[in-house]
Amino acid sequence: MVADVIVAERLSKWYGKQRGVIELDFAVHPGEVFGYLGTNGAGKTTTIRLLLDLIRPTRGRATVLGMDARRDAVEIHRRVGYLPGEFALYENLTGAEYLAYLAALRGNVDERYARTLAERFDLDLSMRIASLSHGNKQKVGLIQAFMHRPELLVLAEPTQGLDPLMQQEFYRLIAECREDGRTVFLSSHVMPEVERVCDRVGIIRDGRLVAVEDIGELKAKEIRTIDLHFAGPVPPVAFAGLPGVRDVQAEGDRVRCTVVGHVDALVKAAARFEVIDLRSHEPTLEEIFLAFYGKGETDVE
Amino acid sequence: MSSEVFARSPMLRTVLLKTVRDQRRALTWWSVGLIGTAAMYASFYPSVRDNAETMNRFIQSMPEWMRTSFLSASGDYTSPAGYLHTEMFSFFAPLLLMVFAIGAGARAIAGEEERRTLDILLSTPVSRRRVATDKFLALTAGTLALSAVLWVSIAAVGAPFDLTPNLVKLGAAVASAFLLALAFGSIALAVGCATGRRGLAIGVTSAIAGVSYLVDVLVPSVASLSWLQTLSPFHFYADNEPITNGLDPLHALVLLAIAAAGLGVSLWSFERRDLAA
Repeated sequence: MVADVIVAERLSKWYGKQRGVIELDFAVHPGEVFGYLGTNGAGKTTTIRLLLDLIRPTRGRATVLGMDARRDAVEIHRRVGYLPGEFALYENLTGAEYLAYLAALRGNVDERYARTLAERFDLDLSMRIASLSHGNKQKVGLIQAFMHRPELLVLAEPTQGLDPLMQQEFYRLIAECREDGRTVFLSSHVMPEVERVCDRVGIIRDGRLVAVEDIGELKAKEIRTIDLHFAGPVPPVAFAGLPGVRDVQAEGDRVRCTVVGHVDALVKAAARFEVIDLRSHEPTLEEIFLAFYGKGETDVE
Repeated sequence: MSSEVFARSPMLRTVLLKTVRDQRRALTWWSVGLIGTAAMYASFYPSVRDNAETMNRFIQSMPEWMRTSFLSASGDYTSPAGYLHTEMFSFFAPLLLMVFAIGAGARAIAGEEERRTLDILLSTPVSRRRVATDKFLALTAGTLALSAVLWVSIAAVGAPFDLTPNLVKLGAAVASAFLLALAFGSIALAVGCATGRRGLAIGVTSAIAGVSYLVDVLVPSVASLSWLQTLSPFHFYADNEPITNGLDPLHALVLLAIAAAGLGVSLWSFERRDLAA
């Protein structure tokens, strides 16, 4: 069993009295793409900056690539690629000069690979950074994170500012990393992105990690919303307390409910009446999350 | 684009070289300013020297504290050394070097932090200690370069106007100004490293410089407070009059110690601090 790539142990950060993150406990396994999901202000940036040793924990600790995030920061930095959520580049340099500078500081960069990345992202490295669009600056940021083929990538909101074509290119890049057995930790508030590229996802809310789920298992939870239309009014009690059936709303001849798992019990209960229509809505991952974690409860499934 | 993806700029190999590279344009303009200032003062010199009697009478009419503060101890305003001490090294030369050094020191870390370029820089395998040390060395190099320009420009533009000080002693005066500027640049670096705020670093350091200057200028007129003077870096800068007497090693050492202490505080505080997002 290979050691976990990132381990957070009761990792906490307070900015004075202001909450950063509270007692995070999680592990990112080698070779996986781990999505870190949360709204703005939930604590995603704080977590990432703790991993990079840009800020220091109030309590607890983080281990990255088996090393202490605090003590071994320089060695960790050698083997990690980092894209901050908000960053600026040196505006007076060209893209090539900027990458040359960071490559010189890193000393382990394959320049041809960096050029390949620039070509894939359709980025002109001879342009001054000051004249680049937001999206093109984001590309420079991505290239500097990937160019030394790091074992671990820590990416904050990596696709922001990228047009759809470039987002596809980014997803391909992530897929290649996965094939190489490299590990990716990416934060996002865009659910479809996480659904698409990640193996597992951690959800952070108000500074606490409320769940860590396997994306496949999460989808297998098969939550769906079902609308039933009957020939006449039905008594709501007929659908109460059925296994897996939640949030029953009955009004006259219509019933709406949420079903987790098999729909058998609901179908059999409905069969006692004349059913005109039955519609099942496939939920997005977003709706699944809202169903499980959306109402302020902090218990994890 | 050629087969090389990266521009081959030797000035982008380290944080030190990159920071020196960033100073190029500023150094050019500061040099133009220094040369211009030196030329202006040099061009006034012949008329001052030719009116020595009038000048000295005017000086004798000045209050005691002004004379001791701004004038050469020898009271010889009209010799090249006396003139340069009073006109250039009592105020203008150290001021220009200090403004440059304080700006560079404040910008070094706090500037990068405020502009949000620091996160990526520090995500490379370069330690915070290394980055701050390189920034200090770049500040030293820039201030040294300006000092050299000052020395050469006085030597070069002085000659046609018979402003011909002893060049070694002129060097001593320039070196003393360099050390003074380095000391304040280092304080600005330290405040920037400790707070991450460029404006604050400039403000705090300028305030310290202003108070130090006033203490050095005004305190000698109050005998009972003369010990206060030894708290002011300016005392160790020019009270010994390097352009007449050469560099006082002890005074130079005090200025160096201030610079070293600033570097120490910079490294210590930067290493411990949470960086602004």
